[in-house]
Amino acid sequence: MKTAGAQALSTVRTAATRPRTARRPRVAEQFETAVQQRAAATLGMWVFIATETLFFGALFFAYAIARIQAPDDFAQASRHTNLVLGTANTAILLSSSLFMALSVRAAALGTRQAAVGFLVITAALGLSFTGVKLAEYALDYREHLVPLVDFAFDPRHARGALVFFGLYFATTGLHLVHLSIGIALVLGLAWRLLARRPGASAEHVAIAGLYWHFVDIVWIFLYPCLYLVSRA
Amino acid sequence: MRGDRVSAYVWTWLGLLALLAASCASSFVPLGRLNAFVNVGIALAKALLVALVFMHLRRDRPIVRLVAVAGLAWLALLFGLSLADFLTRGP
Repeated sequence: MKTAGAQALSTVRTAATRPRTARRPRVAEQFETAVQQRAAATLGMWVFIATETLFFGALFFAYAIARIQAPDDFAQASRHTNLVLGTANTAILLSSSLFMALSVRAAALGTRQAAVGFLVITAALGLSFTGVKLAEYALDYREHLVPLVDFAFDPRHARGALVFFGLYFATTGLHLVHLSIGIALVLGLAWRLLARRPGASAEHVAIAGLYWHFVDIVWIFLYPCLYLVSRA
Repeated sequence: MRGDRVSAYVWTWLGLLALLAASCASSFVPLGRLNAFVNVGIALAKALLVALVFMHLRRDRPIVRLVAVAGLAWLALLFGLSLADFLTRGP
């Protein structure tokens, strides 16, 4: 009797707070419609991306100043980065963005399983990038390119090269942190979509997609700055 | 987004890979200081492709595009004003 009463009460509550859950997607109480909620979420994510642009922008500016002050040192230092791994990683990340975009589209069209599949591929490519990057760090360490740990460079260019590799590890490290958050986000979404858990709608996939693509754009600029300074 | 075709995404991806190849190849051509400009130009083109197609900026509402541009505007201020300082200092 007691449980039946509690059940009835919870039914009443649900009905009172969310009168039309069956007919339309879940809308938080501060929003009138799902369209309005989606618009607010998209705008909020873009505001976050704008702040992230400035966050990474400051590092790119530091890079620009250091490179202007020691162009030859930067050219020499850049030749010691691994162009093959860097280029392969760029291709991996660009491909991950394709699958992320496909997942956002699939989720918007309501094909849940396709959305989950694309999310898993996106995360797998993100993990491949991470693996390649960590292997690259190991090679960098073996070539004595890690500042403060084991740095040895041609003394004529050591000063600027030290700054270059400091920025190299700071920027790629921060990028890797962002990418790891993205991978966790994407895998979490895939699991919740698959298990039909709350907190995983087309809107969530779209927002995660914006974040993923932004992290991709950061790498798009890191790639020429770190790997292509002077190859000719 | 709902309205986009799969082919649009695949073409964008192929374009991005082509730009990556162009960027990598151009760095082996000795152009002097022009190399840096080519690299940054190609990176801008790639970022624009990702933002317009993958991030749907080309169809999004004006307010969203405004926010995206606002981030870049502040970045331009940071670069512009600070470079004006650094580039005009004496030795």
